[in-house]
Amino acid sequence: MKQKTVRFVEWALWLSVVVVATVVMRSSRGQIEQAHAAFVYILIVLGATAGGERWLGIVVALLGFLSINYFFQPPFDTLTVSAPLDLLALVAFLATALVANHLLTRARIEADRAKRHAEEIEHLSAEIRHAEALREANRMKDILLASVSHDLRTPLTTIRALAQDIQTDGSSARMHAGVIVEQADRLGKMVADVLDLSRLRAGAFTMNPEVNTAEDLLGAAVRQFSGVPDANRIETVIDYTKPALLGTFDFVQSLRVLTNLIENALRHSPRGTAVTVSVAETGSNLSFQVADKGPGVSLSEQQQIFEPFYRPSSAAADAGAAGLGLSIAKRLAESQGGSVAYADRPGGGSVFTFEVPAAAQELVETLT
Amino acid sequence: MAAEAPPYTLLIIEDEIEITRAVGAALREQHPAIVEASGGRTGLDAIKTSRPDIIILDLGLPDLDGLEVCQRIRALTDAPIVVLTARHGEADTVALLNAGADDYITKPFSTQELAARVAAQLRRAATPRHAPISINADGLSIDIRLRQVKRGPMLIRLTPIEWDILGVLVSDPGRVFTHQQLFTAVWKRAFGDARLYLRVHVTNLRRKIERDPADPRLIITAPGVGYRFIAES
Repeated sequence: MKQKTVRFVEWALWLSVVVVATVVMRSSRGQIEQAHAAFVYILIVLGATAGGERWLGIVVALLGFLSINYFFQPPFDTLTVSAPLDLLALVAFLATALVANHLLTRARIEADRAKRHAEEIEHLSAEIRHAEALREANRMKDILLASVSHDLRTPLTTIRALAQDIQTDGSSARMHAGVIVEQADRLGKMVADVLDLSRLRAGAFTMNPEVNTAEDLLGAAVRQFSGVPDANRIETVIDYTKPALLGTFDFVQSLRVLTNLIENALRHSPRGTAVTVSVAETGSNLSFQVADKGPGVSLSEQQQIFEPFYRPSSAAADAGAAGLGLSIAKRLAESQGGSVAYADRPGGGSVFTFEVPAAAQELVETLT
Repeated sequence: MAAEAPPYTLLIIEDEIEITRAVGAALREQHPAIVEASGGRTGLDAIKTSRPDIIILDLGLPDLDGLEVCQRIRALTDAPIVVLTARHGEADTVALLNAGADDYITKPFSTQELAARVAAQLRRAATPRHAPISINADGLSIDIRLRQVKRGPMLIRLTPIEWDILGVLVSDPGRVFTHQQLFTAVWKRAFGDARLYLRVHVTNLRRKIERDPADPRLIITAPGVGYRFIAES
């Protein structure tokens, strides 16, 4: 509909240009030669072809042909051609106009085609990029599945073998039961981690950030380790001379972040060395730090440690975890506006820093 | 000791037969009378017919919403309800505790832990419901009537709000109080955005009464749910 209107306007415009030019030139017919008129019509043909379309150019060319003959070639106001040279001029005009029309049209078609091609290429490359993203996601899923099935099989195999041994030799039951419980717990933690990771990736985690005290979180994290043999290695640093620090975070998910960081520190540092958990306010953030006296993380591995299933080269093959703790911690922190970062500890070891937004200090002052 | 325990009837409402079996195996030695129900409706029927002393309720039943089952149980009996919850189920747990459930335990749980919770709830139900007069825990002595807290000979000064919070928590040692329950009990008004007040006051209270406030042994945080006071030391 709109296309049609545009075409109508084009036709009306260029046909009236022909009429106006003819009228103007006609009024001063005495002073101009037919060649001048031909030039003007050629220009109009070019304009009509460029601005409008092929047929408009052809029609304008024919009109020009007729009006040169009729108005500007003696004898005036008749279609009779008296001199053979005039006929040649007329044919030359028509030929020039039509060739120009043809060339211009072809150029425009070529340009249109090029533009369409460019659009098509753009469209195709977008599709390719999309396909590549899907392939990458699929590849990640394959890696994930391979790692998961490998990691899940180890405890499963152990549990199955021990249970079967109990089946044939009941006397070993008590001896094996402890290992079965331990391996079942390990399995349970892995399944929970994998589920969490996929929920995080799918964005299916609901965060519920509220104002909480830093000490409450830290205390709850330490308590998660009560009964664990390594628990006495955890030491806490809090400045009790200052009012309680407040932050805005999801308590349950932040507890997982901090617990994962502590667990990681205990796992990757020598027995008997302390894992120091501290909290301080840094600028507009609440900053929890977990520092250990382990080997630290080499520069080349500092990004990779936050990738799912990554195990540092220095770690034992069976470190007792699927290598998901840090990646889950990082994602859980980021999905509530916080962060988890690694830094070398001066004097050796690692420092993992978990930051969440601090809560307004006025809140503290009105309360304490 | 086990011989002196009265014969309690336990009701397990759980749709997963394996879990029912495992829970039964863990508790049967101490409590031989166990009734099983595989859904909310059969569970409610079982309460009318067998009058259980304690109910272990799974949160994810196929036929009825956990909250509804809990409310309907409460309309029938005062027997303690221990809820079996899943991870990420804090919001549901809070709703059930607010609706009258007494305790919760998250799957996968250790059977010893479950047995201990069940024993604690049975003990609670058996003792008459009035707040203890004094409590000794982790070197701390609390005299409810005198409103006095001492660590050894040292008197600890608490603000009125801190005292109120402690008073509510020690009125029922071991029980999880949801944020809402604590807030309503202490501030005697509707629950607003005031969880924050509660948290800050609990933190300050811990600084006064805990040996190590960063490793609390008396006021324990139930993550995403509330707080409980642990009296055994």
